[in-house]
This record gives sequence, structure tokens and C-alpha cells, in this order.
Amino acid sequence: MRRLVTDADFRAGFADMLPASLAIAPFGIVCGVGAAAAGSGVLGALGLSAIVFSGAAQILAVQLLAAGAPLAVIVLTCFVAGLRFVIYSAAMAPHLRPLSARFQRALAFLLTDQAFAASIRRFDAAAHPRAAGLHSLGGGIALWTFWQATNLAGFFMGHLIPASWSLEFAVPLCFIALMAPHFRTMPTIAAALVAGVAVLALAGLPMRLNLVVAGVLGIVAGTLADFARERWTAR
Amino acid sequence: MDGALKLGLVVAIVGALNCLSRLSFIAIFARRRVPSLLVRAFRYVPAAMLTALVLPMVVGAPVAPMAATWPKACAAILAGVVAFRTHSTLKTLAAGMVALWLLQAGLRAIG
Repeated sequence: MRRLVTDADFRAGFADMLPASLAIAPFGIVCGVGAAAAGSGVLGALGLSAIVFSGAAQILAVQLLAAGAPLAVIVLTCFVAGLRFVIYSAAMAPHLRPLSARFQRALAFLLTDQAFAASIRRFDAAAHPRAAGLHSLGGGIALWTFWQATNLAGFFMGHLIPASWSLEFAVPLCFIALMAPHFRTMPTIAAALVAGVAVLALAGLPMRLNLVVAGVLGIVAGTLADFARERWTAR
Repeated sequence: MDGALKLGLVVAIVGALNCLSRLSFIAIFARRRVPSLLVRAFRYVPAAMLTALVLPMVVGAPVAPMAATWPKACAAILAGVVAFRTHSTLKTLAAGMVALWLLQAGLRAIG
């Protein structure tokens, strides 16, 4: 443990995630407020944030709990909303192969939207998978820690923040910061365009299925555009 | 069912399912070669998934009123430009939030 805390990559990963941790604070606060509004105790709220560790699933869970939905409906809805983690897991897998099983499991547990967006760039650029893994672990632990703190802050004091500040807008901004630098090639832009149109067009689908369907359509579009570009330049 | 018990079950079951989702392919590919077609497809995961995640947060629910949508859309586009040029999360956050507050204040001033 001490070796981990003094490791340069681990510390850099922790520090690099601090701006994003700040950006997700409003989301964490919203989740804490939601848990309190649904009548959960502080232990239940902490259980959600520490173990489920996914803002979207936490909000869906407390909304459905408050509405008195059956357990099976809550579980299924949260599971479907979390299907994007399967896609992240697949995209991370080739990079994590050289790491130990324990290391892989730790990174898998900490896999979130922000952690994925930040670490996939690191793994793409890094020569040493272990260094990128430690960087990713540092970032994941930073996010997890701040997530608990902001969820608790929301649980106890979230109702004090006026809605007119639109603080929740920091959440999409954080994703924009992580994804805009990717938009450099034609297939990447094609992937984003198709995913963007699809997610809005399919907004009527239940259980936020539009997110994962649009993501898959975008990935397919990007891959096809990649093949097309290859044929084009090969001539 | 008692509320606290139900919440405890939600935490346990959803927590376990989320862990399985997160671990799924990391565990599957730990001992297998990843097909080259998939490696190519994985390059487009960040752009596709994050766009699908962000867009509904910016333009709101399917039928959000225009007045609520366009300041956010403008602020998001500006933030995208800042992110593309600076690669800085903090500068992107600052540009996006300040732009949104100014646009909302302007909107309130006109009426």
C-alpha cells in the first residue's frame, strides 16, 4: 500500500483526476439529494454510492424506490442503464491483458464513464501498460473518494444549493473536456455523429436503452468509416 | 417490503450486476487474443459512447422548451472548442459554466 501511494504514476493519476472529480461534484450532490428525498438512511445512500458507484444507476434506483416500483423493475432498469460498462470493459480489455488479475479486478470495479474516458487515452499513448494501469488506478481512487464525499454532502446539505446555478451542467462539460480531443479523424467524427443522432432519435426507448443502442450504432459507423478510409487511401 | 430492506437488496443486486458488467470483457479477454476487428471497433468507443451520454444532458428531454435548451447548447459548443484547443478540463469547465451563466442572465434581463 505504501509503495502504491509513493508511486509517481499513481500520484499523477490521482492528481490528473481532480478537475474531473470537481466536475462530477454536482452529479454526486444530485444523487445524495435523491437518496435523501427517497427516504433512504445515510447508510443506504452510502451503500448506493460506494458499491453501485454509478450516478445514472443511483438516480434511477432512488426515483424508482420513491415511486414504489417492484424490486425486479428497479434491478432490471439499473442493469440496462449500466450495460455501457460492458462496452467500456471490452474496450479496456486489450490494454489490461498484461496486468495481474487482481489489478484487472481493481480497475474493473473503478470503471466509470470518467475513468474510462481518461484512462483509454492514457493507455493508447503509453508504452508501459503497468504505468498506465497505475495512473488509471490513481484516477479511479480519486473519483471514488470524491464520489462518496459529494454524495454525503448532497445527502445532508444538497437542498441548500439554488437550482438557478445550473451546477448539474458541469457533468456534460466534464465529458466534453474528455472527448473533444478525440475528434481528430473522419471515422471518429462519423462515430460521434451517428451516435448523437441515434441517441436523440431513440429517446423514446424504455430504461435508457437509447444510450447503449446509439453507442453501438456509432461504434459500427466509426469502424465502417475506418475500413472505407483504408480502401480509399490504399488506392 | 420494508423500505430499508428493499434498498439493501437494490444495493446488493445492482452492485453485483454492475461489477459483472464492468469485469465482463476484461476477464474474458485476459486469456484470449482480442480479434483484430474488435480492436479496430474499440477505437470508436469513446467518441460514440460519450457523445450518446452527453447530448441528452445538453439538449434535455425530448420535449425540453427551446428557451431552456439553447443557452446550454451554445455553452456546450463553446466548451467543446475550448476542450479541443486546450485539452484542459478546468478551462473547459470554466468556459462552459461562465458562458451558461452569462446567457441565462442575458435571457432573464431581456425578459
